Amino acid sequence: MPADYDKDAYPEPPRQTPVADKQTALPNPALIVSKLFYYSVDLPVTTFRGVVDSIRANNKSVYYHQKFRRVADLTECEEGDYLCYYEAEMQWRRDFKVDQEIVKVVQERLRACQQREGASYHQNCGKEMRQFNEVTNAFQLRYGDLGAYASGRKCLMKQKERMMAAQAQEA
Amino acid sequence: MVGMSVLRSAAAFAARLSPLKSGNTAANLLTRTIPRADKVAVRWGHGKKMFVIKPSDYYDRRFLRLLQYYILLTGIPVAVIVTSVNVFFGEAELAEIPEGYEPEHWEYYKHPISRWIARTFYDSPVKDYEKMMAAIQIEKEKADMRLSQMEVRRHMRQKGDGPWFHVETIDKNLVDNSHKSTPDH
Repeated sequence: MPADYDKDAYPEPPRQTPVADKQTALPNPALIVSKLFYYSVDLPVTTFRGVVDSIRANNKSVYYHQKFRRVADLTECEEGDYLCYYEAEMQWRRDFKVDQEIVKVVQERLRACQQREGASYHQNCGKEMRQFNEVTNAFQLRYGDLGAYASGRKCLMKQKERMMAAQAQEA
Repeated sequence: MVGMSVLRSAAAFAARLSPLKSGNTAANLLTRTIPRADKVAVRWGHGKKMFVIKPSDYYDRRFLRLLQYYILLTGIPVAVIVTSVNVFFGEAELAEIPEGYEPEHWEYYKHPISRWIARTFYDSPVKDYEKMMAAIQIEKEKADMRLSQMEVRRHMRQKGDGPWFHVETIDKNLVDNSHKSTPDH
């Protein structure tokens, strides 16, 4: 893992570990249970992981995220230039996938916020909810009803319709 | 009488064979009664063995046995291979692309088996992209040639002076202009 997750997007509640203030001579059952768990589950699993890591130590490899260059859009292609059409189409498909993942991330943040806040999420999750609404609205406007055979052309035509409707409304 | 003594000596020999079992003395062996098994009062014993009549399950069991066999025939090697790959090679870790380095196309995958498949069998996506662009270029050139051919044909047919719409006539030197005997020759 090159970088940990964004701590601002998923804030943790403050820790509520109580100060150890033993007032009886009786053993603490929580302590006993936690030690039991440690020795029966945690320690074996950690040692197994250590063993497997030492076996894998000399076969380490890395992987990268691919970076694509930007190419000419569909609006900048001349008519009949099918190669330009193909490159624009591939770029549009990559951008579509990226936008789908963006929507998923925003959904995940809202879900995490609801889980954290519990019953008071209406009050405390305002920012996440607004962001979710904006992002999903924008996604629906841009890629909304294009269907299974969506393409860059159809998306452009939808944008044209949107612009025409906006102009008609202004006039 | 001789037979009786042989029997008695045989009984004595049998008794000597297992002397510690009670009721196995020489006198007992010949004259004890045979216990009747079904008239004995038994509680929760093994019970009388029944011959249950049910339809044959040979075919069902054979099917399940063969199913198990054929599934495990490739299933076990695959499981062993995948487990050993996961234990000895582990998945790759994400890293930033270093400056000036262009990663090979298999270095964009995480699991070692996916990397191997991409390295051994698949072409790189760049190559696939170029192949598709080459196919599009060929089809574009074909379409352009067809359009221009249609245009040229239209012109030639209209004007009548292009080489495509000439009808070959025979050489005028081959025509025999002398008088004939009948009008049709």
